[in-house]
Amino acid sequence: MKSLLIRIFLSFWLIIGLTIGTAAIGGYWYAEKVSNAYDNFELGDSILDASAALQSAGREGLRSWLNEFPGADGLQVLVLDARGQDLLGRPVPVTMRRMLDRRQRFMRPPDRLRRDPENLMRARPLSQLIGPDGQRYVIVVVPARNPLLARYGLSPRTLLLILALLVSAAVSILLARAMSRPVRELREATRSLAAGNFEKRVSSSVGRRRDELGSLARDFDTMADNLQRSAAQQLELSRNVSHELRSPLARLRVALELARREAGNLAEFDRIDVETERLDTLIAQILDYTRLDSIADQDKRPLSLNDVIADVIADVNYECNSVGIDNVSITSEFSSSINVLAHESSIKSAIENILRNAVKFTKPNSRVVVSLRREYPDKALVTVDDSGPGVPESDLDRVFEPFFRSADAANSRSGTGLGLAIAARAISLHGGTIAASNRADGGLRISMQLPC
Amino acid sequence: MNDTPETSTVLLIDDDRELGQMLQDYLAADSLKVHVCCSGEDGLKALGLHKFDLVILDIMLPGMNGLDVLKALRTTTDIPVIMLTARGDDVDRIIGLELGADDYLAKPFNPRELIARVRAILRRIQPSSRKQETWQLGSISLDRTTRSASVHNTALSLTGTEFEILRCLLQAPGEVVSKQRLSEIALGRHLLPYDRSIDTHISNLRKKLERAGNSDETIQNQRGVGYLLIPGTSQRNLRQ
Repeated sequence: MKSLLIRIFLSFWLIIGLTIGTAAIGGYWYAEKVSNAYDNFELGDSILDASAALQSAGREGLRSWLNEFPGADGLQVLVLDARGQDLLGRPVPVTMRRMLDRRQRFMRPPDRLRRDPENLMRARPLSQLIGPDGQRYVIVVVPARNPLLARYGLSPRTLLLILALLVSAAVSILLARAMSRPVRELREATRSLAAGNFEKRVSSSVGRRRDELGSLARDFDTMADNLQRSAAQQLELSRNVSHELRSPLARLRVALELARREAGNLAEFDRIDVETERLDTLIAQILDYTRLDSIADQDKRPLSLNDVIADVIADVNYECNSVGIDNVSITSEFSSSINVLAHESSIKSAIENILRNAVKFTKPNSRVVVSLRREYPDKALVTVDDSGPGVPESDLDRVFEPFFRSADAANSRSGTGLGLAIAARAISLHGGTIAASNRADGGLRISMQLPC
Repeated sequence: MNDTPETSTVLLIDDDRELGQMLQDYLAADSLKVHVCCSGEDGLKALGLHKFDLVILDIMLPGMNGLDVLKALRTTTDIPVIMLTARGDDVDRIIGLELGADDYLAKPFNPRELIARVRAILRRIQPSSRKQETWQLGSISLDRTTRSASVHNTALSLTGTEFEILRCLLQAPGEVVSKQRLSEIALGRHLLPYDRSIDTHISNLRKKLERAGNSDETIQNQRGVGYLLIPGTSQRNLRQ
């Protein structure tokens, strides 16, 4: 089916048709069956036996006659007393009882009732017997009740209704599923694309369809291809630019030293030196950021998160000491030992960047606390707490954007603005999540959740 | 250290011709004679023709890759090599150290740092006048005059840096030697933050010792502190 329109149209048509068809055919079949049974049934001389039994032994005689009466295919012979009860205590169809109530006499029922299967027996003459005590008995022939239906108290009409409902429900479910599954798949793909995962494609699943959803899926793939390509080009560009900047930077640094030698130590030279250093760090960070893209699954190996964190803490402590920050202490709280499948250097650089950021912003003479625990059986939670000024609530989500600077964070101690972005990217490439929150007792908490 | 260095010759293999010339000028003032080659092939050729004291090798070379040059060079000589790597490119750096480079510097580097590294390594290879020149522990023996090492009397091929690290550990068996000290002695420089070169050299050393059939003495890592050489059981029994 090529078009979704035709598909929906035909499906609805089919559902309605099937429902009506089931009811009509079922009803017709049942009526036909009952009517055939009546046609083939003849009470005949048995009525004389019944009368004889009644005359000789009264009600009990009629009862035993009825007990021995062989019955007929698809029909049931009832003998009702004056109160309308069957002698053998079998249920009397409601319609039959009503009719008997309404009319004291046995009449030919009006034609319009003929086709109602339960009224069919009225088309046949009913026999009336009068006992020796003047008691009146009526012999009626009704369609036999299906024992299964009888047990649940269902009439054939209710059964037909249920059947029609079931058939239409089944077809409707098939239709609903056929329409919602591809839509759901597309939605998931769109979401994952929005979350920055450019790998997801739907050609092989939804794209196989030949309807509008199929072409939508193929369009989605084209869009994802283009997005992926342009994202890759953008990364490639920043990578190339950064690489190309390095050669002149390297020459600049040597030229600076040569100048220093020629002209002696000028304060301006130191300034140039510092700025070159900054430029160099920035370029290195951009390259770190772009390089994260090329992490392949085969580069990942099992690592002890405890060891990784301990290493990073040692490194950052060492760095602090060497640049003269000696009033901040970094402590770790490990409540379990956890292994993760990870790319070592990128996971290290994630934690390192977060830790450096914490050290940079925490108050003098305070602690930065790194904790590691198992949050769920398959999730490791690493948190880094500082005692700094925190971040305005509205900016919490944005701190992981490259070069984001909070407006009112009067941060003179500027970094490159890429540290947290590198961390977030590295964590998300490992299938983890990262979040920033302000701690109740002041300071920022960065939480990383990693699958383990 | 007071013996003023003779003019040492350094081979610089770097495709940035202008940088090469500037470095030539810069290092010349420090009595380092620099010969510049712009490709790996030229560099290897020059190594065959002249005698150099040290090689500065840019890993990011067009054509023959710096790592290939290093591999080729190590088959013939144990000349000290300082490699220039892309900053943050751990893979190149680790492979380079594994292939036998003595030290590395991320490019763009501070030229003063380059001189310091070059000097540190040149100083290390200058014959010293210290008394003890041979060490022995278990199956491992070292001779500093000939800069040779052996395990079970079979020669062990070590780079200068690996030799110095092993010597440090061997001098104090069972004692933890800090990474800081190992870096100062073997590389002639302070340990830097995020510096994994000592760890890489140690892991090379472990592999080489193992391959040479040494199973008694093991180099252990004390996380956050340093490394120590555990004497083999036979050795410990001997002492008791």
